[in-house]
Amino acid sequence: MHAGRQRRLPRVTALLAILFAIVSVTALAEDRDAQWPMPAGDFANTRFSRLEEVTPANVGSLKLSFSFSTGLLRGHEAAPIVTTDTMYIVTPYPNVLFALALDKPGAPLKWKYEPKPRASSQGVACCDTVNRGAAYDAGRIFFNTLDGQTVAVDANDGHELWRAQLGDITHGESMTMAPLVVKDKVLVGNSGGEFGVRGWLTALDARTGHQVWRAYSTGPDSEVLIGKDFKPFYSQERGTDLGVKSWPGDAWKRGGGTVWGWISYDPGLNLIFYGTANPGPWNPEQRPGDNKWTAGVFARDPDTGAAKWFYQYNPHDSNDYDGVNENVVIDLEIGGRMRKVFAHPDRNGYLYVVDRETGEVLSATPFVNVNTISSIDLKTGRPNRVQDKEPVVGRVIRNMCPHAGGGKDWQPSAWSPITRLLYIPHQNLCQDEEVVPANYIAGTPYVGANVKMHAGEGGHRGLFTAWDVAAGRAVWQIKENFPVWSGALATAGGVVFYGTMEGWFKAVDARTGKLLWQFKAGSGIIGQPISYRGPDGKQYIAVLSGVGGWAGGIVAGNLDARDVSAGNGWGGLMSDLPDNTRQGGMLYVFALP
Amino acid sequence: MHSAINTAGPRAHEIAELMTLFTAVCAVVYLIVIGVLIWALLRKRARARLASEAEREIADRKARHVITWATALTVLILITLGLSDFFVQRSLFTPPKDPLRVLITGHQYWWEIEYDHPDPSQRLRTANELHIPTGKPVELVLTSRDVIHSFWLPSISGKKDLIPGRVNTEVLIADKPGLYTGQCAEFCGLQHAKMRLVLHADSPEDFEKWRQQQLQPGREPATDTERRGRTVFTSTSCVLCHSVQGTDASATVGPDLTHIASRGTIAAGTLPNTPDNLAAWILAPHRMKPGVQMPATPLPPDDLGALTKYLASLQ
Amino acid sequence: MSLRCPEVTLAVLLFAALAGCHREERRFSESLPASTPLDSVVQSDIRPGGTPLPHQPDFIYETNAYAVSQGKQLYEWFNCKGCHADGGGAIGPALMDDQWIYGDSPQNLYATIVEGRPNGMPSFGGKIPPQQIWQIVAYVRSLAGQVRKDVDTSRADHLFTRKSEQSMASTEPRASSPPPQPQ
Repeated sequence: MHAGRQRRLPRVTALLAILFAIVSVTALAEDRDAQWPMPAGDFANTRFSRLEEVTPANVGSLKLSFSFSTGLLRGHEAAPIVTTDTMYIVTPYPNVLFALALDKPGAPLKWKYEPKPRASSQGVACCDTVNRGAAYDAGRIFFNTLDGQTVAVDANDGHELWRAQLGDITHGESMTMAPLVVKDKVLVGNSGGEFGVRGWLTALDARTGHQVWRAYSTGPDSEVLIGKDFKPFYSQERGTDLGVKSWPGDAWKRGGGTVWGWISYDPGLNLIFYGTANPGPWNPEQRPGDNKWTAGVFARDPDTGAAKWFYQYNPHDSNDYDGVNENVVIDLEIGGRMRKVFAHPDRNGYLYVVDRETGEVLSATPFVNVNTISSIDLKTGRPNRVQDKEPVVGRVIRNMCPHAGGGKDWQPSAWSPITRLLYIPHQNLCQDEEVVPANYIAGTPYVGANVKMHAGEGGHRGLFTAWDVAAGRAVWQIKENFPVWSGALATAGGVVFYGTMEGWFKAVDARTGKLLWQFKAGSGIIGQPISYRGPDGKQYIAVLSGVGGWAGGIVAGNLDARDVSAGNGWGGLMSDLPDNTRQGGMLYVFALP
Repeated sequence: MHSAINTAGPRAHEIAELMTLFTAVCAVVYLIVIGVLIWALLRKRARARLASEAEREIADRKARHVITWATALTVLILITLGLSDFFVQRSLFTPPKDPLRVLITGHQYWWEIEYDHPDPSQRLRTANELHIPTGKPVELVLTSRDVIHSFWLPSISGKKDLIPGRVNTEVLIADKPGLYTGQCAEFCGLQHAKMRLVLHADSPEDFEKWRQQQLQPGREPATDTERRGRTVFTSTSCVLCHSVQGTDASATVGPDLTHIASRGTIAAGTLPNTPDNLAAWILAPHRMKPGVQMPATPLPPDDLGALTKYLASLQ
Repeated sequence: MSLRCPEVTLAVLLFAALAGCHREERRFSESLPASTPLDSVVQSDIRPGGTPLPHQPDFIYETNAYAVSQGKQLYEWFNCKGCHADGGGAIGPALMDDQWIYGDSPQNLYATIVEGRPNGMPSFGGKIPPQQIWQIVAYVRSLAGQVRKDVDTSRADHLFTRKSEQSMASTEPRASSPPPQPQ
């Protein structure tokens, strides 16, 4: 009799355990929809919300639920981060972290944390004093400050847990990117490719802030963490110490390749994917060679940082085509079988589909008008550059398309697994450029280019494109007057959101692109929209407005448009922006009535 | 060596030979013409005494002969000279096979030199002093950062302009090892006359040794004074214009100083490279080359001494 | 006395020649004061007690064409252009407009370059020799149209980004507030 009872007990326990697991997993999944723990939404960087409450039928009645003024006047590029009942916003310099209580009416301020970064760091921020947001993990909030620190703060009460000084502003190094937390490691990268900074990606222990590993973007293999596991697909990436040999002299020490963009993670393959920025200086004649490992994408093991493969989108880049744009992790059916890939809209105007296991480029299709590169050779992986459009010292090259900001700059796209479309906010811009010898003085800009930008064919400066990644073509496209410098948000309800630089926050139909709703914000929108389920169960859409960034510098920095090269060439192009919007940081959160 | 007549390379030799041919032929022609002119002046009196029509006719016919022969000879001489020039130019302008490429950029008032190489990490930057291996053609790629300069090593080759916004090429071939000097040959500003060039033609083994040495980063300071000198170098105005590989100093508007101590002269070939000259140059360049871009850098004597020691250690 | 009077003509010609002489002078070495006397550098235009502002000494560099053109070259060499573009601004504020955060006088500009400023302007004191700083100051003032037209630099042989300094209209400088520092 005892034996029988004993045999029954384990089975009951097991059943209960399974039930509990199912319930908690579903609860977590439900919980996950209530949250937006990192700017990209998830590790795959889809920026897709599974919430379905807001649909094309009812989004017309979306109304403002609450707003919050940050009190600052520079470009607000961050994504608000949401845990179950709190929203966290990181502002541009001085990088204040605000925590808003979502469970109270009007979302009052719970607390604020002021890291007090050094004021001089504003002098080494190439493209406005922006910050792209914080990340939440296990009760902690992590974010970067302009003067090169990574900070961890308690998510409940805002007290500082640790801070790590990683960047040196006296050498032009700053930090603007949003961290990614993978397996208790905080992944952060530096900025400063326009200051001759050497790029890196660092992993910090989430509990202590101590460095676990650092992978440089240039230099000897030991510092780039290239070892026996490194198996690049293309032969041009194979060799020893290419991060030194593909540069003259010690130019790699000032070579750029900073990591200021997006990091994605595939838990199945245990690989992180991130891009490296442009090589420095912009003038390519000062750095003959392929300039490894700049303007390309690394796949690394997040535990050790060891590089698994690398692909260089733009060897010996001569156009400031950084490789830092998002690598959206998706599974696509290609040639009759499911492939593990990522989609990457590059600065050079091509949309790449790359096999994320091997680094093979499966397709590369232009998503804007490109005349600097005629095609990508899929056999060698190399872009075929148009000789007439190659910058040469002593000559002015006219009408290079896309311009230095690329077919798309940092502004991140969103992927809907339902429509299978990639929603890309971007621009339609070209430039005239004259490269000149750049003089390196540590802590000052190291560029060597005079630039004048102008609108591309059609005259519209901005575009919002719905791209069918599998088919390699645009399904619909919206033309905008100004470059679309905000992020995109896709929802399961079938609505896609983005903002314009004049300040319109727009909702469009995910399938057709039809404008369904719009709201005029106080200042131009360059932030990343997010969606979350509030404590009251409703679906909320949140976005920061506050024009600036590299494109909006003329307003944020009060530049003089009589010099068309102001702001690296944006001055002449955006001389009408001050007539359309002024400065002012404000959070807007919307919901259905 | 610094002479267009006393040549040390096949190209300068060809130009010198052409120059000799032209000078010789033109000298002879000149003497003949002067001789005939004098004779004609003297002869005029005799011609006036001729009486008959027939005698005048004979004289005219003789004159026509002479003119015909003289014209024919002139045409022949011109064709010969023209052809000589054509063949020399063809030889000079034929692109050399497998040359060593050197990029030279002219500045007011110094020469920036960069040795090209298919492997970018084997490229080498220096200033004012050019080293080439003997017997091998060296192709110079010439351009300018500011105004028009002209490259002229009289004993080795002819002149070729360095024009901003444009690339010219010139070829050097040195027969035997030696030291050759040259200078800027197109007026480029106040110190055009002191924009000199020094060429060391080395045997191929010596050239390779020099090249390997120049590829090294700047020598680490060995003594405290040298270390102090490096601190002075990096903390004052030097780093705004000069570079020493291996330090933070990587500015390119002034000459590269990574191996300054290995050069025999400073200030573009105008001053011998001695510690005293170096100190005087740093303190007040305008005393020696008024109008040069380098500013006066007043330093306390101790700092100046340490800096000079450090620069003198950069072999 | 009309212009036909030979003495007047001579005087006019002499004056023009002398003014031209100064414009063309090339001074390669200067014995300069070690630093600017503090009481003549002001950033405010009001003084208590109704006393007038101290007299600003003449700025000899901005009537000398060589100094202004050297300043233009140094403006590019020392990367002023990297932050301030061709006067339109980028990382740093515009220099060609009429707004001056830290004063517009030559002494103010010299102090700004030597001391640096709290929101990102580096301190170049001890790095750029004083004479070269004065040349840059003269050029910066020409960007805002504060320098005589015959001394200004003319169109550069570069990508055309704005009208040449010579064609720029002169502006009345006004003080502007520094960027706000909210907490």
